[in-house]
Amino acid sequence: MKTLIIVKEKDYEWLGPVFPGIHPLLLPICNKPFAEFLIDFSVLAGSEAIRFVSDGPLGDVEQYCENGNRWGIAISYGSILENDDLQMIIEKNQRYCVEEKVLIVSGYVFIQYDRQHDYKTLLASLPDGEFLSSNHGSLRLRGARPAVHETIDRVPLSLTGLDSLDVYYRLSMEILSYASSPYVLPGYNNEEYCHIGRNVVISKSSEIRKPVMIGNNVQIFEGSILGPGAVIGSNVIIDRECTVTDSIVLENTYIGEHLEVQNRIAAGNILIDPESGISIVMDDPHLLAGIKKTGSGKKVFQSFVHSIAALFLIALLLIPFLLLSPILILQGKWKRSKNSYYTSGARKPVTLTTTTIERKGILSTLAGAISLDRFTLLFSVFAGKLALIGSLPVVARHAGSMDLNTIESWYHAGVFSYAEAEDWPVNGGDTAIVERYFAVHGNPFLDISMTIKAFFNRIHETKTL
Amino acid sequence: MIISEKICNSISVITLQGTLDASTASTLKTFKPALAASSPIVIDFSRVDFLDSSGLGALVGIAREKRSKGGEVTLACLNNKVRKVFEITQAYKLFDIFDDVEAATLHAEKKQGHL
Repeated sequence: MKTLIIVKEKDYEWLGPVFPGIHPLLLPICNKPFAEFLIDFSVLAGSEAIRFVSDGPLGDVEQYCENGNRWGIAISYGSILENDDLQMIIEKNQRYCVEEKVLIVSGYVFIQYDRQHDYKTLLASLPDGEFLSSNHGSLRLRGARPAVHETIDRVPLSLTGLDSLDVYYRLSMEILSYASSPYVLPGYNNEEYCHIGRNVVISKSSEIRKPVMIGNNVQIFEGSILGPGAVIGSNVIIDRECTVTDSIVLENTYIGEHLEVQNRIAAGNILIDPESGISIVMDDPHLLAGIKKTGSGKKVFQSFVHSIAALFLIALLLIPFLLLSPILILQGKWKRSKNSYYTSGARKPVTLTTTTIERKGILSTLAGAISLDRFTLLFSVFAGKLALIGSLPVVARHAGSMDLNTIESWYHAGVFSYAEAEDWPVNGGDTAIVERYFAVHGNPFLDISMTIKAFFNRIHETKTL
Repeated sequence: MIISEKICNSISVITLQGTLDASTASTLKTFKPALAASSPIVIDFSRVDFLDSSGLGALVGIAREKRSKGGEVTLACLNNKVRKVFEITQAYKLFDIFDDVEAATLHAEKKQGHL
Protein backbone atom coordinates (compact mmCIF):
# COMPACT_ATOMS: atom_id res chain seq x y z
CA MET A 1 0.00 0.00 0.00
CA LYS A 2 1.01 3.62 -0.50
CA THR A 3 0.00 6.82 1.21
CA LEU A 4 -0.72 10.15 -0.43
CA ILE A 5 -0.71 13.07 2.00
CA ILE A 6 -2.39 16.19 0.61
CA VAL A 7 -1.97 19.45 2.50
CA LYS A 8 -3.00 22.78 1.04
CA GLU A 9 -1.76 26.19 2.10
CA LYS A 10 -5.25 27.41 2.91
CA ASP A 11 -5.61 24.61 5.49
CA TYR A 12 -2.79 25.99 7.59
CA GLU A 13 -2.71 29.67 6.75
CA TRP A 14 -3.46 30.56 10.39
CA LEU A 15 -0.10 29.10 11.41
CA GLY A 16 2.22 31.35 9.41
CA PRO A 17 1.74 34.53 11.46
CA VAL A 18 1.82 32.58 14.75
CA PHE A 19 4.95 30.53 14.17
CA PRO A 20 6.86 32.18 11.33
CA GLY A 21 9.68 30.05 10.04
CA ILE A 22 8.13 26.73 11.08
CA HIS A 23 6.76 24.65 8.23
CA PRO A 24 3.26 23.47 9.22
CA LEU A 25 4.17 19.86 8.52
CA LEU A 26 7.12 20.22 10.87
CA LEU A 27 5.15 21.90 13.64
CA PRO A 28 6.33 20.15 16.81
CA ILE A 29 3.58 18.37 18.70
CA CYS A 30 5.16 17.20 21.94
CA ASN A 31 8.58 17.74 20.38
CA LYS A 32 7.76 15.50 17.44
CA PRO A 33 7.19 17.10 14.02
CA PHE A 34 3.62 16.72 12.80
CA ALA A 35 4.80 14.96 9.62
CA GLU A 36 6.31 12.18 11.73
CA PHE A 37 2.92 11.35 13.23
CA LEU A 38 1.55 11.03 9.70
CA ILE A 39 4.48 8.85 8.68
CA ASP A 40 4.08 6.66 11.76
CA PHE A 41 0.41 6.10 11.04
CA SER A 42 1.11 5.34 7.38
CA VAL A 43 3.68 2.75 8.39
CA LEU A 44 1.25 1.23 10.90
CA ALA A 45 -1.33 1.11 8.13
CA GLY A 46 1.08 -0.95 6.04
CA SER A 47 2.34 1.69 3.63
CA GLU A 48 5.65 1.18 1.92
CA ALA A 49 5.71 4.57 0.24
CA ILE A 50 4.49 8.03 1.14
CA ARG A 51 4.11 11.07 -1.08
CA PHE A 52 3.58 14.52 0.34
CA VAL A 53 1.80 16.84 -2.08
CA SER A 54 1.08 20.48 -1.49
CA ASP A 55 0.41 23.74 -3.26
CA GLY A 56 2.92 25.32 -0.90
CA PRO A 57 6.62 24.79 -0.34
CA LEU A 58 7.81 21.35 0.78
CA GLY A 59 11.55 22.05 0.83
CA ASP A 60 11.83 22.05 4.63
CA VAL A 61 9.84 18.83 4.86
CA GLU A 62 12.07 17.23 2.25
CA GLN A 63 15.16 18.39 4.10
CA TYR A 64 13.84 16.78 7.28
CA CYS A 65 12.30 13.57 5.94
CA GLU A 66 14.66 13.10 2.97
CA ASN A 67 13.84 9.92 1.08
CA GLY A 68 12.33 8.16 4.07
CA ASN A 69 15.22 5.78 4.76
CA ARG A 70 14.96 6.61 8.45
CA TRP A 71 11.53 4.99 8.59
CA GLY A 72 12.29 2.23 6.08
CA ILE A 73 9.87 3.62 3.52
CA ALA A 74 10.17 5.60 0.30
CA ILE A 75 9.11 9.23 0.66
CA SER A 76 8.55 11.42 -2.39
CA TYR A 77 7.14 14.89 -2.94
CA GLY A 78 4.85 16.51 -5.46
CA SER A 79 3.36 19.87 -6.32
CA ILE A 80 -0.23 20.74 -7.00
CA LEU A 81 -2.08 23.95 -7.66
CA GLU A 82 -4.32 25.75 -5.20
CA ASN A 83 -7.55 24.93 -7.04
CA ASP A 84 -6.82 21.28 -7.79
CA ASP A 85 -9.53 18.94 -6.58
CA LEU A 86 -8.93 15.38 -5.41
CA GLN A 87 -9.48 13.92 -8.88
CA MET A 88 -6.93 16.29 -10.38
CA ILE A 89 -4.43 15.56 -7.61
CA ILE A 90 -4.76 11.84 -8.29
CA GLU A 91 -4.30 12.46 -12.01
CA LYS A 92 -1.18 14.48 -11.30
CA ASN A 93 0.16 11.57 -9.29
CA GLN A 94 -1.11 8.93 -11.70
CA ARG A 95 2.09 6.94 -11.85
CA TYR A 96 2.32 6.83 -8.07
CA CYS A 97 -1.33 5.89 -7.56
CA VAL A 98 -1.94 3.58 -10.49
CA GLU A 99 -0.88 0.15 -9.34
CA GLU A 100 -1.44 -0.16 -5.64
CA LYS A 101 -3.98 0.60 -3.01
CA VAL A 102 -3.53 4.16 -1.82
CA LEU A 103 -4.44 5.66 1.53
CA ILE A 104 -5.24 9.32 0.92
CA VAL A 105 -4.88 11.70 3.84
CA SER A 106 -6.22 15.12 2.95
CA GLY A 107 -6.29 18.24 5.04
CA TYR A 108 -4.26 19.58 7.92
CA VAL A 109 -5.57 16.99 10.33
CA PHE A 110 -4.01 15.11 13.19
CA ILE A 111 -4.77 11.38 13.09
CA GLN A 112 -5.40 10.06 16.56
CA TYR A 113 -4.43 6.41 16.63
CA ASP A 114 -2.91 3.89 18.99
CA ARG A 115 0.22 2.09 17.95
CA GLN A 116 -0.89 -1.00 19.90
CA HIS A 117 -3.64 -1.66 17.34
CA ASP A 118 -3.53 -3.36 13.97
CA TYR A 119 -4.39 -0.77 11.36
CA LYS A 120 -2.94 -2.83 8.54
CA THR A 121 -5.67 -5.44 8.86
CA LEU A 122 -8.31 -2.80 9.34
CA LEU A 123 -7.39 -0.93 6.18
CA ALA A 124 -7.08 -4.15 4.22
CA SER A 125 -10.68 -4.89 5.07
CA LEU A 126 -12.11 -1.55 4.08
CA PRO A 127 -13.53 -0.85 0.61
CA ASP A 128 -12.74 2.08 -1.68
CA GLY A 129 -13.80 5.53 -0.58
CA GLU A 130 -13.80 7.80 2.40
CA PHE A 131 -13.81 5.99 5.72
CA LEU A 132 -13.10 8.79 8.16
CA SER A 133 -13.73 12.48 7.90
CA SER A 134 -13.90 15.66 9.88
CA ASN A 135 -14.60 19.27 8.97
CA HIS A 136 -10.95 19.77 8.15
CA GLY A 137 -9.95 16.66 6.28
CA SER A 138 -10.48 13.02 5.59
CA LEU A 139 -8.97 9.57 5.19
CA ARG A 140 -9.94 7.56 2.14
CA LEU A 141 -8.81 4.51 0.27
CA ARG A 142 -8.37 4.20 -3.45
CA GLY A 143 -7.75 1.05 -5.43
CA ALA A 144 -8.88 -1.24 -2.60
CA ARG A 145 -10.51 -4.50 -3.53
CA PRO A 146 -14.02 -5.00 -2.24
CA ALA A 147 -13.44 -7.09 0.84
CA VAL A 148 -14.98 -7.91 4.16
CA HIS A 149 -16.51 -4.71 5.43
CA GLU A 150 -15.36 -4.03 8.93
CA THR A 151 -16.41 -1.17 11.08
CA ILE A 152 -13.71 1.10 12.30
CA ASP A 153 -15.31 1.36 15.72
CA ARG A 154 -13.17 -1.46 17.06
CA VAL A 155 -9.95 0.49 16.90
CA PRO A 156 -9.20 4.01 18.05
CA LEU A 157 -9.04 6.24 15.03
CA SER A 158 -10.22 9.81 14.78
CA LEU A 159 -9.26 13.08 13.14
CA THR A 160 -8.58 16.41 14.77
CA GLY A 161 -8.43 19.40 12.49
CA LEU A 162 -5.46 21.56 13.42
CA ASP A 163 -7.22 24.81 12.76
CA SER A 164 -6.32 27.00 15.69
CA LEU A 165 -3.71 27.61 18.32
CA ASP A 166 -6.08 26.43 20.99
CA VAL A 167 -6.53 23.04 19.30
CA TYR A 168 -2.76 22.73 18.90
CA TYR A 169 -2.20 23.53 22.57
CA ARG A 170 -4.90 21.17 23.84
CA LEU A 171 -3.71 18.36 21.57
CA SER A 172 -0.13 18.73 22.83
CA MET A 173 -1.26 18.70 26.45
CA GLU A 174 -3.49 15.70 25.80
CA ILE A 175 -0.67 13.69 24.23
CA LEU A 176 1.64 14.69 27.08
CA SER A 177 -0.80 13.40 29.65
CA TYR A 178 -1.20 9.92 28.17
CA ALA A 179 0.48 7.49 30.55
CA SER A 180 1.43 4.83 28.03
CA SER A 181 1.50 6.96 24.98
CA PRO A 182 -0.29 5.63 21.90
CA TYR A 183 2.36 7.46 19.89
CA VAL A 184 6.09 7.01 19.70
CA LEU A 185 7.45 10.15 21.34
CA PRO A 186 11.01 11.39 21.31
CA GLY A 187 13.29 11.32 24.34
CA TYR A 188 14.48 9.00 27.09
CA ASN A 189 11.50 7.60 28.96
CA ASN A 190 12.27 5.29 31.86
CA GLU A 191 9.18 6.32 33.76
CA GLU A 192 5.72 7.25 32.67
CA TYR A 193 4.77 10.84 31.96
CA CYS A 194 8.39 11.89 31.55
CA HIS A 195 10.42 12.17 28.34
CA ILE A 196 13.88 13.69 28.41
CA GLY A 197 16.03 14.34 25.34
CA ARG A 198 19.79 14.19 24.80
CA ASN A 199 22.29 16.59 26.35
CA VAL A 200 19.92 17.98 28.96
CA VAL A 201 21.50 19.71 31.95
CA ILE A 202 19.21 19.85 34.96
CA SER A 203 20.36 21.72 38.03
CA LYS A 204 20.13 19.83 41.33
CA SER A 205 17.88 22.42 42.90
CA SER A 206 15.43 22.48 40.01
CA GLU A 207 12.25 20.48 40.16
CA ILE A 208 10.59 18.36 37.47
CA ARG A 209 6.89 17.68 37.98
CA LYS A 210 5.30 15.12 35.67
CA PRO A 211 3.93 15.06 33.02
CA VAL A 212 6.82 16.73 31.31
CA MET A 213 8.65 16.50 28.05
CA ILE A 214 12.10 17.99 27.46
CA GLY A 215 13.87 18.19 24.11
CA ASN A 216 17.57 17.97 23.26
CA ASN A 217 20.27 20.44 24.37
CA VAL A 218 18.24 21.99 27.15
CA GLN A 219 19.67 23.76 30.18
CA ILE A 220 17.56 24.10 33.30
CA PHE A 221 19.12 26.36 35.89
CA GLU A 222 18.83 26.24 39.68
CA GLY A 223 15.52 26.75 41.39
CA SER A 224 13.41 26.25 38.27
CA ILE A 225 10.20 24.29 38.35
CA LEU A 226 9.10 22.48 35.19
CA GLY A 227 5.62 21.04 35.03
CA PRO A 228 3.20 19.68 35.53
CA GLY A 229 2.32 19.89 31.87
CA ALA A 230 5.46 21.35 30.35
CA VAL A 231 6.67 20.66 26.83
CA ILE A 232 10.16 22.09 26.42
CA GLY A 233 11.57 22.05 22.90
CA SER A 234 15.19 21.58 21.88
CA ASN A 235 17.90 24.22 22.38
CA VAL A 236 16.05 25.91 25.21
CA ILE A 237 17.50 27.63 28.26
CA ILE A 238 15.34 27.90 31.38
CA ASP A 239 17.08 30.38 33.64
CA ARG A 240 17.07 30.53 37.46
CA GLU A 241 13.92 30.44 39.54
CA CYS A 242 11.57 30.01 36.55
CA THR A 243 8.28 28.21 36.64
CA VAL A 244 6.86 26.59 33.50
CA THR A 245 3.50 24.87 33.94
CA ASP A 246 0.89 23.76 31.41
CA SER A 247 2.93 25.45 28.72
CA ILE A 248 4.78 24.76 25.54
CA VAL A 249 8.22 26.27 25.03
CA LEU A 250 9.22 25.91 21.40
CA GLU A 251 12.82 25.33 20.34
CA ASN A 252 15.52 28.02 20.43
CA THR A 253 13.88 29.94 23.26
CA TYR A 254 15.42 31.54 26.32
CA ILE A 255 13.22 31.89 29.40
CA GLY A 256 14.69 34.57 31.64
CA GLU A 257 15.18 34.51 35.41
CA HIS A 258 12.17 34.49 37.76
CA LEU A 259 9.71 34.24 34.89
CA GLU A 260 6.49 32.37 35.49
CA VAL A 261 5.04 30.83 32.34
CA GLN A 262 1.61 29.34 32.86
CA ASN A 263 -0.88 28.20 30.19
CA ARG A 264 1.19 29.82 27.50
CA ILE A 265 3.16 29.01 24.37
CA ALA A 266 6.61 30.60 24.24
CA ALA A 267 8.29 30.79 20.85
CA GLY A 268 11.47 32.86 20.66
CA ASN A 269 10.61 36.21 22.16
CA ILE A 270 6.86 35.74 21.65
CA LEU A 271 4.54 34.68 24.43
CA ILE A 272 1.13 33.48 23.26
CA ASP A 273 -2.10 32.84 25.10
CA PRO A 274 -3.42 29.75 23.25
CA GLU A 275 -7.02 30.34 24.20
CA SER A 276 -7.37 33.88 22.91
CA GLY A 277 -4.49 33.77 20.45
CA ILE A 278 -3.18 37.06 21.83
CA SER A 279 0.59 37.26 21.68
CA ILE A 280 3.10 39.55 23.33
CA VAL A 281 6.47 40.26 21.76
CA MET A 282 9.07 40.68 24.49
CA ASP A 283 11.68 43.33 23.83
CA ASP A 284 13.66 42.59 26.97
CA PRO A 285 16.13 39.81 26.12
CA HIS A 286 16.52 39.06 29.85
CA LEU A 287 12.88 37.98 30.07
CA LEU A 288 12.22 36.02 26.92
CA ALA A 289 14.31 35.79 23.80
CA GLY A 290 14.99 33.72 20.74
CA ILE A 291 18.28 31.87 20.65
CA LYS A 292 19.89 32.64 17.34
CA LYS A 293 21.80 29.97 15.51
CA THR A 294 25.30 31.11 14.64
CA GLY A 295 25.56 31.95 10.96
CA SER A 296 28.32 30.80 8.70
CA GLY A 297 31.17 32.98 7.49
CA LYS A 298 29.69 32.84 4.00
CA LYS A 299 27.67 36.00 4.55
CA VAL A 300 30.66 37.94 5.81
CA PHE A 301 32.73 36.81 2.85
CA GLN A 302 29.89 37.63 0.48
CA SER A 303 29.52 41.18 1.80
CA PHE A 304 33.31 41.61 1.60
CA VAL A 305 33.35 40.54 -2.07
CA HIS A 306 30.33 42.75 -2.78
CA SER A 307 32.06 45.73 -1.15
CA ILE A 308 35.21 45.23 -3.26
CA ALA A 309 33.12 44.99 -6.43
CA ALA A 310 31.10 48.06 -5.41
CA LEU A 311 34.35 49.97 -4.88
CA PHE A 312 35.48 48.99 -8.37
CA LEU A 313 32.17 50.16 -9.86
CA ILE A 314 32.38 53.46 -7.96
CA ALA A 315 35.88 54.03 -9.36
CA LEU A 316 34.61 53.18 -12.84
CA LEU A 317 31.53 55.42 -12.72
CA LEU A 318 32.88 58.32 -10.67
CA ILE A 319 34.03 60.51 -13.55
CA PRO A 320 30.92 59.93 -15.73
CA PHE A 321 28.81 60.64 -12.64
CA LEU A 322 30.63 63.91 -11.88
CA LEU A 323 30.36 65.02 -15.51
CA LEU A 324 26.83 63.93 -16.38
CA SER A 325 24.81 64.32 -13.21
CA PRO A 326 25.07 68.16 -12.93
CA ILE A 327 24.01 68.54 -16.57
CA LEU A 328 21.06 66.17 -16.19
CA ILE A 329 20.01 67.87 -12.96
CA LEU A 330 19.98 71.20 -14.79
CA GLN A 331 17.98 69.64 -17.64
CA GLY A 332 15.49 68.25 -15.09
CA LYS A 333 16.10 64.67 -16.23
CA TRP A 334 17.81 63.58 -13.02
CA LYS A 335 15.21 63.05 -10.33
CA ARG A 336 16.03 61.96 -6.81
CA SER A 337 13.65 60.68 -4.21
CA LYS A 338 13.93 59.39 -0.67
CA ASN A 339 12.04 56.31 0.32
CA SER A 340 12.02 53.66 3.01
CA TYR A 341 12.97 50.21 1.77
CA TYR A 342 13.12 46.81 3.35
CA THR A 343 16.51 45.16 3.40
CA SER A 344 17.25 41.74 4.77
CA GLY A 345 19.68 42.91 7.41
CA ALA A 346 17.60 45.39 9.38
CA ARG A 347 14.28 44.78 11.09
CA LYS A 348 13.42 48.40 10.47
CA PRO A 349 13.28 49.75 6.93
CA VAL A 350 16.20 51.87 5.80
CA THR A 351 15.92 55.15 3.99
CA LEU A 352 17.60 55.19 0.60
CA THR A 353 17.92 57.93 -1.96
CA THR A 354 17.07 56.57 -5.38
CA THR A 355 17.58 58.26 -8.72
CA THR A 356 15.41 58.18 -11.81
CA ILE A 357 16.83 59.25 -15.13
CA GLU A 358 14.49 60.27 -17.88
CA ARG A 359 15.99 58.62 -20.95
CA LYS A 360 15.43 61.36 -23.51
CA GLY A 361 18.42 62.68 -25.36
CA ILE A 362 21.95 61.36 -25.75
CA LEU A 363 23.37 62.27 -22.35
CA SER A 364 20.52 60.89 -20.28
CA THR A 365 20.40 57.71 -22.38
CA LEU A 366 24.13 57.29 -21.84
CA ALA A 367 23.79 57.94 -18.10
CA GLY A 368 20.98 55.37 -17.86
CA ALA A 369 22.87 52.84 -19.97
CA ILE A 370 25.88 52.89 -17.68
CA SER A 371 23.64 52.67 -14.59
CA LEU A 372 24.51 56.08 -13.14
CA ASP A 373 21.12 56.00 -11.44
CA ARG A 374 22.52 53.26 -9.21
CA PHE A 375 25.76 55.12 -8.45
CA THR A 376 24.75 56.54 -5.06
CA LEU A 377 23.25 53.22 -4.00
CA LEU A 378 26.68 51.61 -4.37
CA PHE A 379 27.75 53.38 -1.16
CA SER A 380 24.99 51.53 0.71
CA VAL A 381 26.82 48.29 -0.03
CA PHE A 382 29.65 49.41 2.29
CA ALA A 383 27.16 50.27 5.01
CA GLY A 384 25.71 46.78 4.72
CA LYS A 385 22.30 48.21 3.83
CA LEU A 386 22.25 46.65 0.37
CA ALA A 387 23.93 43.79 -1.41
CA LEU A 388 25.58 44.54 -4.72
CA ILE A 389 23.15 42.16 -6.40
CA GLY A 390 20.03 40.67 -4.91
CA SER A 391 16.32 41.39 -4.95
CA LEU A 392 14.85 44.64 -6.16
CA PRO A 393 14.39 46.80 -3.04
CA VAL A 394 10.80 46.64 -1.79
CA VAL A 395 9.30 49.92 -0.64
CA ALA A 396 8.28 49.78 3.01
CA ARG A 397 4.54 50.15 3.26
CA HIS A 398 4.51 51.48 6.77
CA ALA A 399 7.27 53.51 8.28
CA GLY A 400 8.34 51.91 11.53
CA SER A 401 8.64 48.24 12.19
CA MET A 402 9.11 45.75 9.43
CA ASP A 403 6.13 43.75 8.32
CA LEU A 404 7.84 40.38 8.42
CA ASN A 405 4.98 38.60 6.69
CA THR A 406 5.51 40.50 3.47
CA ILE A 407 9.22 39.83 3.30
CA GLU A 408 10.37 36.31 2.65
CA SER A 409 13.51 34.77 4.04
CA TRP A 410 15.34 34.78 0.73
CA TYR A 411 14.83 38.52 0.26
CA HIS A 412 18.02 40.58 0.26
CA ALA A 413 17.77 43.94 -1.44
CA GLY A 414 20.53 44.76 -3.89
CA VAL A 415 21.76 47.66 -6.02
CA PHE A 416 21.26 45.40 -9.04
CA SER A 417 18.83 42.53 -9.19
CA TYR A 418 19.14 38.97 -10.37
CA ALA A 419 16.06 39.57 -12.51
CA GLU A 420 17.98 42.26 -14.40
CA ALA A 421 20.91 39.90 -14.84
CA GLU A 422 18.73 37.14 -16.21
CA ASP A 423 16.70 39.62 -18.25
CA TRP A 424 13.42 38.73 -16.56
CA PRO A 425 10.73 41.40 -16.62
CA VAL A 426 11.58 43.26 -13.41
CA ASN A 427 8.07 44.43 -12.72
CA GLY A 428 6.39 41.05 -12.96
CA GLY A 429 5.72 38.66 -10.11
CA ASP A 430 8.01 36.16 -11.83
CA THR A 431 11.12 37.94 -10.57
CA ALA A 432 10.70 36.21 -7.22
CA ILE A 433 11.40 32.91 -9.00
CA VAL A 434 14.87 33.93 -10.14
CA GLU A 435 15.63 35.67 -6.83
CA ARG A 436 14.74 32.53 -4.88
CA TYR A 437 16.94 30.51 -7.23
CA PHE A 438 20.00 32.63 -6.50
CA ALA A 439 19.22 32.84 -2.80
CA VAL A 440 19.97 29.13 -2.76
CA HIS A 441 22.48 28.70 -5.58
CA GLY A 442 24.27 32.03 -5.37
CA ASN A 443 27.86 32.52 -4.26
CA PRO A 444 30.04 35.64 -4.08
CA PHE A 445 31.87 34.98 -7.34
CA LEU A 446 28.72 34.09 -9.22
CA ASP A 447 27.31 37.37 -7.88
CA ILE A 448 30.14 39.26 -9.59
CA SER A 449 29.38 37.70 -12.96
CA MET A 450 25.66 38.27 -12.45
CA THR A 451 26.35 41.93 -11.62
CA ILE A 452 28.29 42.29 -14.87
CA LYS A 453 25.40 40.67 -16.73
CA ALA A 454 22.89 43.00 -15.06
CA PHE A 455 25.12 46.00 -15.83
CA PHE A 456 25.26 45.14 -19.52
CA ASN A 457 21.57 44.17 -19.73
CA ARG A 458 20.64 47.59 -18.38
CA ILE A 459 22.20 49.21 -21.46
CA HIS A 460 19.18 48.03 -23.45
CA GLU A 461 16.68 49.16 -20.87
CA THR A 462 14.38 51.91 -22.03
CA LYS A 463 13.64 53.31 -18.61
CA THR A 464 15.27 53.47 -15.23
CA LEU A 465 13.71 52.55 -11.94
CA MET B 1 20.34 19.48 -25.33
CA ILE B 2 18.21 17.33 -27.61
CA ILE B 3 14.63 18.45 -28.17
CA SER B 4 12.19 16.11 -29.83
CA GLU B 5 8.48 16.29 -30.46
CA LYS B 6 5.85 13.59 -30.64
CA ILE B 7 2.07 13.61 -30.66
CA CYS B 8 0.33 11.82 -27.82
CA ASN B 9 -3.46 11.93 -27.44
CA SER B 10 -3.44 14.66 -30.10
CA ILE B 11 -1.26 16.84 -27.89
CA SER B 12 2.26 17.88 -28.78
CA VAL B 13 4.73 16.37 -26.30
CA ILE B 14 8.15 17.99 -26.28
CA THR B 15 10.79 15.75 -24.79
CA LEU B 16 13.92 17.42 -23.51
CA GLN B 17 17.11 15.48 -23.06
CA GLY B 18 20.22 16.77 -21.35
CA THR B 19 20.85 20.09 -19.67
CA LEU B 20 18.53 23.07 -19.75
CA ASP B 21 20.74 26.02 -18.86
CA ALA B 22 21.90 29.38 -20.24
CA SER B 23 23.57 27.74 -23.21
CA THR B 24 20.54 25.69 -24.25
CA ALA B 25 17.61 27.82 -23.07
CA SER B 26 17.59 29.80 -26.33
CA THR B 27 17.22 26.54 -28.31
CA LEU B 28 14.05 25.78 -26.40
CA LYS B 29 12.78 29.33 -26.70
CA THR B 30 13.06 29.18 -30.48
CA PHE B 31 11.70 25.63 -30.83
CA LYS B 32 8.68 26.15 -33.07
CA PRO B 33 6.11 23.76 -31.54
CA ALA B 34 6.79 25.34 -28.19
CA LEU B 35 5.76 28.70 -29.49
CA ALA B 36 2.93 27.73 -31.85
CA ALA B 37 -0.18 29.70 -31.14
CA SER B 38 -2.73 28.55 -28.58
CA SER B 39 -2.06 24.81 -28.93
CA PRO B 40 -1.33 23.18 -25.57
CA ILE B 41 1.95 21.40 -25.07
CA VAL B 42 3.34 18.92 -22.60
CA ILE B 43 7.02 19.10 -21.77
CA ASP B 44 8.52 15.79 -20.71
CA PHE B 45 11.38 16.31 -18.23
CA SER B 46 12.21 12.68 -17.57
CA ARG B 47 15.56 12.98 -19.36
CA VAL B 48 16.56 16.43 -18.14
CA ASP B 49 19.46 16.12 -15.74
CA PHE B 50 20.02 19.78 -14.93
CA LEU B 51 17.96 22.95 -14.90
CA ASP B 52 19.16 26.42 -13.93
CA SER B 53 17.63 29.88 -13.68
CA SER B 54 18.03 30.55 -17.41
CA GLY B 55 16.28 27.29 -18.29
CA LEU B 56 13.56 28.15 -15.84
CA GLY B 57 13.34 31.59 -17.41
CA ALA B 58 12.81 29.98 -20.83
CA LEU B 59 10.01 27.81 -19.44
CA VAL B 60 8.31 30.69 -17.69
CA GLY B 61 8.65 32.79 -20.86
CA ILE B 62 7.06 30.05 -22.99
CA ALA B 63 4.27 29.54 -20.45
CA ARG B 64 3.51 33.26 -20.31
CA GLU B 65 3.45 33.53 -24.10
CA LYS B 66 1.29 30.44 -24.47
CA ARG B 67 -1.19 31.70 -21.90
CA SER B 68 -1.45 35.06 -23.60
CA LYS B 69 -2.51 33.16 -26.73
CA GLY B 70 -4.92 30.93 -24.85
CA GLY B 71 -2.62 27.91 -24.72
CA GLU B 72 -1.19 26.01 -21.80
CA VAL B 73 2.11 24.39 -20.86
CA THR B 74 1.93 21.22 -18.77
CA LEU B 75 5.02 19.64 -17.30
CA ALA B 76 5.56 15.93 -16.76
CA CYS B 77 8.00 13.57 -15.07
CA LEU B 78 10.19 15.99 -13.18
CA ASN B 79 13.08 14.13 -11.61
CA ASN B 80 14.30 15.05 -8.14
CA LYS B 81 16.97 17.51 -9.32
CA VAL B 82 14.58 19.43 -11.54
CA ARG B 83 11.75 19.28 -9.02
CA LYS B 84 14.01 20.82 -6.38
CA VAL B 85 14.62 23.84 -8.62
CA PHE B 86 10.86 24.27 -9.01
CA GLU B 87 10.53 23.82 -5.27
CA ILE B 88 13.05 26.42 -4.15
CA THR B 89 11.90 28.97 -6.69
CA GLN B 90 8.21 28.19 -6.15
CA ALA B 91 7.85 28.05 -9.93
CA TYR B 92 5.54 25.06 -9.37
CA LYS B 93 2.80 27.62 -8.72
CA LEU B 94 2.83 28.48 -12.42
CA PHE B 95 2.47 25.01 -13.92
CA ASP B 96 0.38 21.89 -13.81
CA ILE B 97 2.92 19.21 -12.98
CA PHE B 98 2.20 15.52 -13.58
CA ASP B 99 4.27 12.46 -12.76
CA ASP B 100 3.15 10.73 -15.94
CA VAL B 101 3.27 11.94 -19.56
CA GLU B 102 0.08 10.24 -20.61
CA ALA B 103 -1.89 11.69 -17.70
CA ALA B 104 -0.45 15.10 -18.59
CA THR B 105 -1.53 14.82 -22.22
CA LEU B 106 -5.02 13.70 -21.21
CA HIS B 107 -5.24 16.71 -18.94
CA ALA B 108 -4.01 19.05 -21.67
CA GLU B 109 -6.49 17.53 -24.08
CA LYS B 110 -9.35 17.94 -21.62
CA LYS B 111 -8.39 21.51 -20.97
CA GLN B 112 -8.34 22.25 -24.64
CA GLY B 113 -11.82 20.82 -24.98
CA HIS B 114 -10.89 17.91 -27.22
CA LEU B 115 -12.79 15.37 -25.15
